[in-house]
Amino acid sequence: MDAYLPILILLILGLLFAALSFVASTFLAPKKKPTAAKIAPYECGIVPEVEPPSRFPVRFYLVAMIFIIFDIEVVFLYPWAVIFRQLGSFGLVEVVVFAAVVFVAFLFLISNGAFSWGPVVRLTPGVPARTSSSTIARISGRPGGPVTAAGVPVSTGTPGQAA
Amino acid sequence: MTHLAATASTIHLPHVNYVSILPILIMMGGALLLLLLSSLLRRIISTGVCTAITVMTSAAAAVAAIVQWDQVLANGAQTTIAGAVAYDGFSVLIQLLVPLALGLTALVADGYLKREGVVGGEFQVLAMASASGAMVMGAANDLIVVFLGLEILSIALYVLAAFNHRRAESGEAALKYFVLGSVSSAIFLYGIALMYGATGSTNLAKMAEFLARRAVLSNGLLLAAMALLLVGFAFKVSAVPFHMWSPDVYQGSPSPVSGFMASVAKAGAFAALLRVFVSSLATQRLGWQPVIWVLAALSLLVGAIVALNQQDVKRMLAYSSINHAGFILLGVDAADARGISSALYYLVTYTIMVIGTFAVVTVIAGRQDRATGLLEFRGLARRQPVLALALAILLLGQAGAPFTTGFLAKFNVIEAVVLTHGYTLAVIAMVSAAVAAFFYLRVALTMFSPVGEFGDGPDDDVPLDPAALVGAATPGAASGVTTVPPRAWSAAMPGIDELADAPPSEVVEARGKVPVPPATWVVIGFCALFTVVFGIYPAPLVDFAQHATLLFI
Repeated sequence: MDAYLPILILLILGLLFAALSFVASTFLAPKKKPTAAKIAPYECGIVPEVEPPSRFPVRFYLVAMIFIIFDIEVVFLYPWAVIFRQLGSFGLVEVVVFAAVVFVAFLFLISNGAFSWGPVVRLTPGVPARTSSSTIARISGRPGGPVTAAGVPVSTGTPGQAA
Repeated sequence: MTHLAATASTIHLPHVNYVSILPILIMMGGALLLLLLSSLLRRIISTGVCTAITVMTSAAAAVAAIVQWDQVLANGAQTTIAGAVAYDGFSVLIQLLVPLALGLTALVADGYLKREGVVGGEFQVLAMASASGAMVMGAANDLIVVFLGLEILSIALYVLAAFNHRRAESGEAALKYFVLGSVSSAIFLYGIALMYGATGSTNLAKMAEFLARRAVLSNGLLLAAMALLLVGFAFKVSAVPFHMWSPDVYQGSPSPVSGFMASVAKAGAFAALLRVFVSSLATQRLGWQPVIWVLAALSLLVGAIVALNQQDVKRMLAYSSINHAGFILLGVDAADARGISSALYYLVTYTIMVIGTFAVVTVIAGRQDRATGLLEFRGLARRQPVLALALAILLLGQAGAPFTTGFLAKFNVIEAVVLTHGYTLAVIAMVSAAVAAFFYLRVALTMFSPVGEFGDGPDDDVPLDPAALVGAATPGAASGVTTVPPRAWSAAMPGIDELADAPPSEVVEARGKVPVPPATWVVIGFCALFTVVFGIYPAPLVDFAQHATLLFI
């Protein structure tokens, strides 16, 4: 039990620090509420003209996934490389299998256009183009939404269910 | 580095018995093969080909499991790969059950994916990966391997839950499942760490040996470890009070995925739960049995009672699956050979029934999985009698009616618990079975009642959307809408709510016969027949479950 005493003390100290910080900030912090100018994005007075974009192209995620794939591969290759001679041929075979699995994942990303940064290519034919307005129309259930290949509006389902 | 290499110069590589993990390897190999094919032939490969590859992979894995079964019967149970993998009847049964469930799910998903216009093989790849995780859990003889299986199973399932990316509920379900599932995995991992601290090993056999040889005097660490492990498992099998995610996730996920989740995820988690607690921690029974008792009682009661109030069939099935988890926990609570075999038998029969039920729900729900309300099942018996009959059989099976597999399953677990003197729990189980029968029968009655005679009247049905209000703005239409009596409503204006915004073809599809793809027919027919045939002639299945238990390490 003695071994756990430092942990207990650390826990109490941590709690004390958090509690004291709150108490101190209530006493020391300025009481004035921030003005509208204070909470504006640019305090110097420039009015922001464009809303920051909230949607990113999916390509950025694909690039991030490529990074993760090779990151994971390196994480496992490094310890293998350290004891490469002890593991012998068994280790080599295992690592080759592992690398092949990772390579399939990489191929999948490439086939999904992770490296195609040119004009938009539609990977699935027959699906209507999606724009911001079509998405808004689809979500709000108003007509004028996306249209299928046959020219029939894509159903947004029965209203009774949506309620 | 040279110093490190010098000290670790002797590494004993474990002998790998490849037959013992052959079904898992086949399943993972199938997933990789399909991923490769769908990457290289993105525009060429069709959903049908992907389904065929998945079904063939499942069949190959099942055949490998049958080969294993013969080997285990001949040579007896053993552990392989440095004791990390158990090779016994119990693991073989899971290696057989999971591919079967995956094959059925793939056939149902085939129709679903074609209906939703999903191209590419990602769905099947993820399903196969997830199934391989469940199989790893079934064979795991080390807590680390259990965790690996749990994560392989779960991560693919998180993505599958979000597969209907045009539906907001699907994304919500996936996010909820992902966040809560990650927390439960973390808790489980903490439990593994504490267990290592308490027993000095993560290997189940070594843990059991340690606990059998020593009388643990201060068992605080051990109890904490068991509690944390139980939380992790209870989350995966959705036992109350760790069930809150499951109704939302089952409702939001694509219907075939809900069926897959209810069967495969539960099978994997229960397999690992049984092996870890009943087999490895058997000496600590007094520590964990009361917890299982409470989990089982709460799951039985909450699952049955809350399901009564559900208007959405997928939500109702989620609560019903919580109730079923309670029944399987009875077998865990009994914690003897009879308990394990009854829990396994329950798992096998439940898996088949739930996949069949969700297959019917998939076809009824229609595009985007929207029509899952109880009222959508009105008059199904008149429109499609065979489909209604199959669903009725599957629901009666889940309710535990005689001459279905569900009856013997429920009887076995209750008997197992009674024989270990758990009379209170047995009474709770029987009461909950009676309560549960009501909501299964309610769906059946809804199907067999004529349109408009059952349900909560049209008030819930009235579309509150702009298009309907436009119609109501016409004076004549407005008076018509408000004065038509409830029963005449549907007859007078068939498909009124669909008419509001859908093209005419959709109205016919929604209120008339729902199209059932041939592959889905095969699944529904197989599941219904399985439920009836083995309900009337249960001997082979019971024997199988009992043999599987005898070889349990």
